[in-house]
Amino acid sequence: MGVRALTQEWMDAYKAAIQADPEYKDIAKNWEGSVALVVLPDPAKGIPETVYLFQDYWHGDVGEFVVCDKDKAESAKFVMTGEYARWKQIARKELDATKALLQGKLKMKGDLPYVVRNIKTVNKVIDILGAFETIWPDEV
Amino acid sequence: MATGYAGKFLLVNLTDGSCTDFTIADSELQKYIGGSCLAAKMYLDRYPLDTDPLSPENPLMIMTGPMVGSGFPGTSRFTICTKAPQTGIWGESACGGTFGPELKRAGYDGIVLEGQSPEPVCLAILDGQATLEDASALWGTDIYEATDLLKAEDKSRKVLAIGPAGENLSRIAAIGNDKGHFSGRTGLGAVMGAKKLKAIVVKGTLKTGKADENRYKEVLKTAIAEVKGSALAEGLHMMGSDANMDLGMVTGDVPIKNWTVGEDFDLSFNLSGPTMREKYLTKAHACANCPVACKRVVKVDDGPYRTDEGPGPEYETCGTFGTMLMNSDLAAVIKANELCNRYGLDTISCGSAIALAMELFEKGTLTTDQVDGLDLTWGNMGAVMPLIRKIAYREGFGDILADGAVHAARKIGGDAMDCVVHVKGLEAPMHDPRAFHGMGLAYMMSNRGACHLQHAVLATEQGMASWPQLFDMKDDYTGTTSVDKAALVYNSENYGILGNSLAICHYLVDILKPETILEAFNAITGFNLTSDELLEAGMRDWTLKRGFNNLLGITAKDDVLPKRLLTALKEGGGAGSVPDVALLLSEYYAIRGLDERGFPRKEKLTELGLDELKDRLYR
Repeated sequence: MGVRALTQEWMDAYKAAIQADPEYKDIAKNWEGSVALVVLPDPAKGIPETVYLFQDYWHGDVGEFVVCDKDKAESAKFVMTGEYARWKQIARKELDATKALLQGKLKMKGDLPYVVRNIKTVNKVIDILGAFETIWPDEV
Repeated sequence: MATGYAGKFLLVNLTDGSCTDFTIADSELQKYIGGSCLAAKMYLDRYPLDTDPLSPENPLMIMTGPMVGSGFPGTSRFTICTKAPQTGIWGESACGGTFGPELKRAGYDGIVLEGQSPEPVCLAILDGQATLEDASALWGTDIYEATDLLKAEDKSRKVLAIGPAGENLSRIAAIGNDKGHFSGRTGLGAVMGAKKLKAIVVKGTLKTGKADENRYKEVLKTAIAEVKGSALAEGLHMMGSDANMDLGMVTGDVPIKNWTVGEDFDLSFNLSGPTMREKYLTKAHACANCPVACKRVVKVDDGPYRTDEGPGPEYETCGTFGTMLMNSDLAAVIKANELCNRYGLDTISCGSAIALAMELFEKGTLTTDQVDGLDLTWGNMGAVMPLIRKIAYREGFGDILADGAVHAARKIGGDAMDCVVHVKGLEAPMHDPRAFHGMGLAYMMSNRGACHLQHAVLATEQGMASWPQLFDMKDDYTGTTSVDKAALVYNSENYGILGNSLAICHYLVDILKPETILEAFNAITGFNLTSDELLEAGMRDWTLKRGFNNLLGITAKDDVLPKRLLTALKEGGGAGSVPDVALLLSEYYAIRGLDERGFPRKEKLTELGLDELKDRLYR
């Protein structure tokens, strides 16, 4: 039985999966800073309003992982914004996150060279996103 | 007269010193558009093909396109075309910078250079007036020196020049525009050198019109907004093309140690765009009319590779003088880039030739005595710097490498050719087809030899761009499969090749929506092509150049990947994977309309309005 995507339970599961990953700590040893994921509303797919998710990463450790409000999300070092369908594609590995960014399907606010320099960390975190069972709102 | 064009071309006969104007019918312009496509048509119509590329009979064509000089983003380009000294087949090399728009302002859509001058000359084109001037005093200067001397009187003049490599007929010689922009590939600088043409200087004040000024203004706003919203544009501005170093190391795109190693994150960390930005970047620089500004201006303050502030290396150069040589010192790459710029050497071919030498040195095929006492151990950049000079001046062992890796391997013999990664004589750029099989097919089918700039496969296969509105394609392709790649390559060729006929930067082709580029093209020219017609123009372009090569003896047997690219790597994004050449080619030949010999089929040539080429191919 999976957890419903974009909920606090899902964020907890995501955090636990990252902490349990044997490679994450080493790959992410240089990463400093929080990331917010912003999921744009899509009422037809069970997302009536924008969802804000805040994740704190620090040198291979994982801190706060919460569903949050807009202000907290916008305080993150990196803010990634996209439609629900795109996030779902990324989580399911149907669309690479870097490609989505370059194609304009995701928008990012933050230091792009830093992300490029640490692209292995980004890829690892996204890889783990698909590692635990998720129930998607439009599939309930 | 079709709008967007200057309306005339300049024919320069360097043998008798005459300069005359000629025109091309609007119907031909609409069919072949401009740039390298129009150049291929002009070559086929007017010149014999069975000539030595360095003989007076081989013309050199410097072409703009209808959008050049319009002010539309990315339209700074010009394309230099000829039968290539390095490969003996169709040769072209596009360039950004300032020369293209200035040539249009000086009154010309292009220049055709015939013959050979008895003495070194410089061609000056000032507001429609072309003259040949004595350049004896410039002969022997490097590109930076020649450019400074030619701008001494008037800094606003735009200069195209060769350096010692071109003068010494190196078949990997480049042509430089205002020090920072280069037509590098296929050895076109040697053709200028053979013609004793040291430089071309242009300046003009003329304006080309637009078919619909208001329509153009609207689409210009759209284009600017698309650039501003593009992460690709932002990345290029902040990190230059070398942004690919970090990303490519993860995907397996970056060749290492002459294509024998699949992954080395220490190398990519030290050679990457972010590192260049942190340590050496002084400012970003833009070609004319470009809001992206991807060019790097760099300075190395101290150490053995100290440089003045000047043009910085592209990703390709960070590959050939970095990862390919097992060199992790970015300052050394910057210095090597400066030397290649000054001498007028293509950095891809020069670095690839040196990588070959280092591998053969390690294997013992080349001894210290044979390489003039240099220690060509991997990563020894102290030996690379003098070797670059030797190549440009054809001194000692430099003469062996001066025509590129393929010619060098032929001279060295033994199994040296097994260590060269090339297609049709042109060394591959820094994108590994073992990680991206579509690129392997694109290398095999590119009309100038292994190339990433005759098509848009790099963008579509690696996911930098997605154009489902233009042709059937996915947002995300797996690199290490050959399935579904033939159609992707075919379509990406038909669209991407237009960059060199419209003369618009390939990065802007990737960044802007196809409908935006088409709208701008139509607003400028008034041709009002549909997207299908635009793609048909791309098909015609590709087929015309393929026919050119077929007439020179290119057949299906030449559409191959070298042994090394068919040997799987042990590590990295492409580990264990090689392109399925048979699958790729069989599907591609069917889609492209090639027969079993690799010739365009008669019905395809008729469909594209290339009956004259058909008559020559099926004579």
